[in-house]
Amino acid sequence: MMAFIAFSLRRAWEGFRGNGLMSAAATATMVLMLVLLSGLIILLTGLDSTLKSVEDEVQVVAYLRDSSTQSEISSLQTSLRNMPQVTLVGYVSKDQAYNDFVTRHPDQVDVIKSLPNNPMPASLRINLRDPNDYVDVASYLKNNPDVERVLNIKQTVDQMVTVINVLRAGGVGILLVVGLIVLFIIVNTIRLAVVSRADEIEIMRLVGASDAFIRWPFVFEGAIVGLLGAVITIGLLFPITALLSPYLNVLPVEAGLTVGQNVALIVLGSGVGIGVLGSYLSVRSYLHR
Amino acid sequence: MTSRVVVAMQGVTKSYPNGRVALRGVDLVIPEGDFVFLVGPSGAGKSTVIKLLIRDELPTKGAVLLDGRDLGKLKRRDVPKIRRKIGIVFQDFKLLPTKSVRDNVAFALEVIGTPRREITPAVDRALRVVGLTGQADQLPSQLSGGEQQRTAIARALVHNPRLFIADEPTGNLDPLISWEIIQLLLRINEMGVTVLMATHNAEVVTAVRKRVVALEDGRIVRDQVAAAYEREA
Repeated sequence: MMAFIAFSLRRAWEGFRGNGLMSAAATATMVLMLVLLSGLIILLTGLDSTLKSVEDEVQVVAYLRDSSTQSEISSLQTSLRNMPQVTLVGYVSKDQAYNDFVTRHPDQVDVIKSLPNNPMPASLRINLRDPNDYVDVASYLKNNPDVERVLNIKQTVDQMVTVINVLRAGGVGILLVVGLIVLFIIVNTIRLAVVSRADEIEIMRLVGASDAFIRWPFVFEGAIVGLLGAVITIGLLFPITALLSPYLNVLPVEAGLTVGQNVALIVLGSGVGIGVLGSYLSVRSYLHR
Repeated sequence: MTSRVVVAMQGVTKSYPNGRVALRGVDLVIPEGDFVFLVGPSGAGKSTVIKLLIRDELPTKGAVLLDGRDLGKLKRRDVPKIRRKIGIVFQDFKLLPTKSVRDNVAFALEVIGTPRREITPAVDRALRVVGLTGQADQLPSQLSGGEQQRTAIARALVHNPRLFIADEPTGNLDPLISWEIIQLLLRINEMGVTVLMATHNAEVVTAVRKRVVALEDGRIVRDQVAAAYEREA
């Protein structure tokens, strides 16, 4: 078994080196396709985190009655925190709301100061796990006796959710189509490389090489093409993203190392995976006849 | 062991999917150690006989036995094993252009999983038989046609086959070189290997006086020992 693997690896390396032009063509195709794929993935990751940060902005704002006591308010806060849809509950007191108003509208300070007492209500600001839960949480609050009024932004939230869903689905769709194109092109290039060595395969068949001895060197060779293509792609990707990141920073995204690592893993996995798959399929058509 | 049968074809008919009938009820027995010329015009069925023997094709009717095994009943994974009982050379040599003579011959053993320590002596022996020891490190492109065919013969011989098939081995060679190749095949036969040679080379066949099996339109029309290329009066 070890001898067989050693043989296959040696033959794969010989095959890769001995057919320089074909190997170079296959590797170059692999690199171009992987750059395309990973560029798309980086863009879509950016889009996705942008959408997520937009979603996180969605807050249910509930104005509290002035008559509510401190203990009533904190028990309401606790029950909200126990709701699975809720991630964060913030409390804005009457004084804080007053100060906020003064900072935000300095030209109307005279108006508010002329009033006998603070007209601003205290409020709870609830962040949601998913904007779709807006209605649930809002209606829960509306039925609570301590809540004076819930700010109604249902329509805005609905529109936003629709736009976000369309963007997400579009991204996944484009990724699928591009992924299929990439798969198709790489598999075909590898097929060409295998076809150019039909003689070698025929000789192997004639002298009684078993299918495994014919197949595995080619599969390993596909893995070499994939590995090399992936490494070159990753090598190209880091300077490219470094170059582009100042322009991408307008997006509220951490397009830094974590994204880079994930993309590197995806590039490596799909490079080797497609290389292996392409070789396997290409050789198969020679074995089954 | 008394002379065993290497090849037995019993009532073999072969028709291809396009409707062409290549062989019609062929019976052929080749005992161990025989030297057989397979002759006949193009399209008579010579290539089909060879394809059936290496199990590249299966008979439509009848049975093909190689070394006692019915090729029609062979499991797919046993096909490579039966091919190892055969050595085959072609008109166009089928050498790998990027490999040296030695590596071309060794290739046949490497790809069937022969341990490396057994490969070198076997390759040396095969190269000695065909007289190419001195050219072992040259590439096929540096060799003459005759030397290329001898390389192919060494490759077909290196795994000690039971049956040696030569499909028009002299088709691309001039008469003098053709004679060298025939002499080589006769010597291989004397070493105990059964040889089946398909050819158009009337001169050679007639001069050598070996068994001749003549095909015409998919039928064996003559099977004669110590015979000539054409039917003699």
